[in-house]
Amino acid sequence: MSAPARSTGVWTAAAGSAAAEPRETASAPPRRRSARRRRRWTGLAFAALPLAVYAVVVLAPLVQSIQYSFFKWDGVSAATWVGFDNYVTFVTDPILRSTFGHVLVLICFFALLPIVLGLFSAALLTRAKQPGMAVYRWIFFLPQVMTTVVIALVFKRIYAPDGPLNQALRAIGLDSLARTWLGDFTWALPALGLIGTWVTFGFCMVLFISGTSAIAPELYEAARMDGAGPFREFFAVTLPGLRGQLAVALTLTMTAALRTFDLVWITTHGGPGTSTLTPAVALYKAAFQNPQVGLAAAIGVVMAVLCLVVALVITRVSERD
Amino acid sequence: MATTVAVVAGLALTMSACAPGGGGGSESSAQPSSISTDIASAGTVTLKMTDFWGSAEGKWIDQAIADFQKKYPNVTIDRTSEDWGQLNSTLNLQLQDDAGPDIASANNGWQSLGTLAKGGLVVNLDSYAKAYGWDSKVPTTIIRQNKFTTDLKTMGSGSWFATPMARTSLIGLYYNADKLKKLGIEPPKTLDELEVDAAKAKTAGEIPFQYGSLDGSTSALLGVQAVLADKNKLNDYVYDVPTVKASDVGMKEAVETVKKWADAGYFPKDFAGIDYQTAVANFVKGQGVFRWEYTGSLGLSTEQQKHFGYVQLPQSGGKTVGVGAAPGAMVISAKSKHPEVAAAFLDYLMSPAAGQTAVDLGLVPALSPDVKVPETSLSLTGESAAAKTLDSDDGYVPYFDWSSPTMLDTLGQNLQLVFAGKMDSGKFTAAVDADRDAFLAGQA
Repeated sequence: MSAPARSTGVWTAAAGSAAAEPRETASAPPRRRSARRRRRWTGLAFAALPLAVYAVVVLAPLVQSIQYSFFKWDGVSAATWVGFDNYVTFVTDPILRSTFGHVLVLICFFALLPIVLGLFSAALLTRAKQPGMAVYRWIFFLPQVMTTVVIALVFKRIYAPDGPLNQALRAIGLDSLARTWLGDFTWALPALGLIGTWVTFGFCMVLFISGTSAIAPELYEAARMDGAGPFREFFAVTLPGLRGQLAVALTLTMTAALRTFDLVWITTHGGPGTSTLTPAVALYKAAFQNPQVGLAAAIGVVMAVLCLVVALVITRVSERD
Repeated sequence: MATTVAVVAGLALTMSACAPGGGGGSESSAQPSSISTDIASAGTVTLKMTDFWGSAEGKWIDQAIADFQKKYPNVTIDRTSEDWGQLNSTLNLQLQDDAGPDIASANNGWQSLGTLAKGGLVVNLDSYAKAYGWDSKVPTTIIRQNKFTTDLKTMGSGSWFATPMARTSLIGLYYNADKLKKLGIEPPKTLDELEVDAAKAKTAGEIPFQYGSLDGSTSALLGVQAVLADKNKLNDYVYDVPTVKASDVGMKEAVETVKKWADAGYFPKDFAGIDYQTAVANFVKGQGVFRWEYTGSLGLSTEQQKHFGYVQLPQSGGKTVGVGAAPGAMVISAKSKHPEVAAAFLDYLMSPAAGQTAVDLGLVPALSPDVKVPETSLSLTGESAAAKTLDSDDGYVPYFDWSSPTMLDTLGQNLQLVFAGKMDSGKFTAAVDADRDAFLAGQA
């Protein structure tokens, strides 16, 4: 049932592989091999308990979810085996299928837009060192440490018919643009997406700033000597140097978009109509409101697989030379 | 890669071999042959009870327990209270636990009560109904809400699996008495009068109906439907009779009516962006003349109860039909060791004494025609009168969303489409039928 929890697992794995791995030194003398092997077993013994916990808390529910997804089950009485029916329902039911489209829109707002903005602001901020930079970073990073529930409630207020956004628009004479943002079939999804942009933008920016500071200054010097302008410098030095950070940012923000739940649940419940319904919300409704545990499990499995694929593809692409 | 395939194939095999669930599937229809209603000689009994009531409702059940224990000093009832959503999502697990509750409050319909009955987790109460004469005490339209056929394919007939109580929760029309006085109009007595009053209110610059559709609120739609629908057909529709269609139960007319009100500007200007809580708060604050609402949901203080009234509009034929049900379906766990004592307590919860306790706490009474309502409370006077009429007219219709587990979503989503002009009433009723029929097909 816990697609979100599982996808965080995916990211830790991805980040873990990026961290420095202990390297085997080929020149180790042969007589020390058995000692090394013994040490490896000891290490494994130490890891046994956490591994066992991981198996019980993560792997067992994962396998169970996969199992449930092949049944029609109300959570109480005997389940009936339905093969791939739940998966077929997920991709053929027009309302459930539409959730994929909504997720694609959310990916634009959660991943692409913040990364572009983050790159741009990182490039601006690192070119000229300004006093008080830490304060900027702190302010833009703030949404990342706030609970989504709080953020959703704040934005629900901002987007309200008589909320600050509409008041501001009316104050500057743009009355025609004021609308019921979250109750509007066209604007509800982008409005939710922009909340995501606000949340992930600061994170991307901070990530990219730390990435650029790790790029060797000689590269910039060399580029400038060759007569590169700011744009050339950005595309030839900064961007390639940020490949690792880009991969992390993309993986995190895209999986965040894929499993959007609390934001939608608190603001619109998937409405108006089903225009902001996401797979995670559909999953929650199937699992906890309507007795369709099998369908909920199928949605969870598909989303977990998608998160895994996203993470794998991004890692592969970013590590290719 | 090959090992992965093998593992997956192995998993698939084990999965098909052992299906989840069905552990509790005991024979729920097994009943004791004779029922003792002599609780005083049952010895010392302790019952565990879990319910989803807080504040005034919590005080009501506490008082009922205290009174019952006074009557039978040999019985102790240990009560646990949980949040409504929390209990609904965990009750099936609690009832499978040997140390689980003997008595619990469930939610009617297939989502909760039907699922529990299917799983054999709750006792078939038919023999208790006979022993205590529930069939003659309770209006038929309320009895049906607690019944399922023993093959557990149909709701609304068959055996008792839960009991109501001397309280009810209705959908009806609240009005702001001060505003009516200012506008010089009497509380409406028919739907036509209500529409005339709404037009007057609009002309006077008031918001005729306080309403917000952001989270898909359906109380206005279902309140209007009960005034327009054929009572028996509407009951049958919800109770799984496939030949009755949504267009037979006033759904089309109800949708057209609320859409007409929306188009006429009878709702707040930006109602599509107003959520339920905000709409309730605005109404209590004095914005809006009328509001269709569930009883007990406005959270009126004793002082506010003097300024808000309640009417249950009758149908054009003169009889009153209203959406209403007990605010919980009381069940006895199949694992309970003292079902007879538990049944006696459920019987007590339906007594006039429990009804009077409800009124004294400001809650809407039911099954108690002779309760004394404090005259100063305008809203409670209206609510109690409505419940009394519905009891005597046997005029209850169940909450429409019991017809399928996904119905509440379907109604809310499609109503938003109707308000946005993206769907007409014909397509709306078709969507409602499609949802219900898909569910019925799955039941068969």
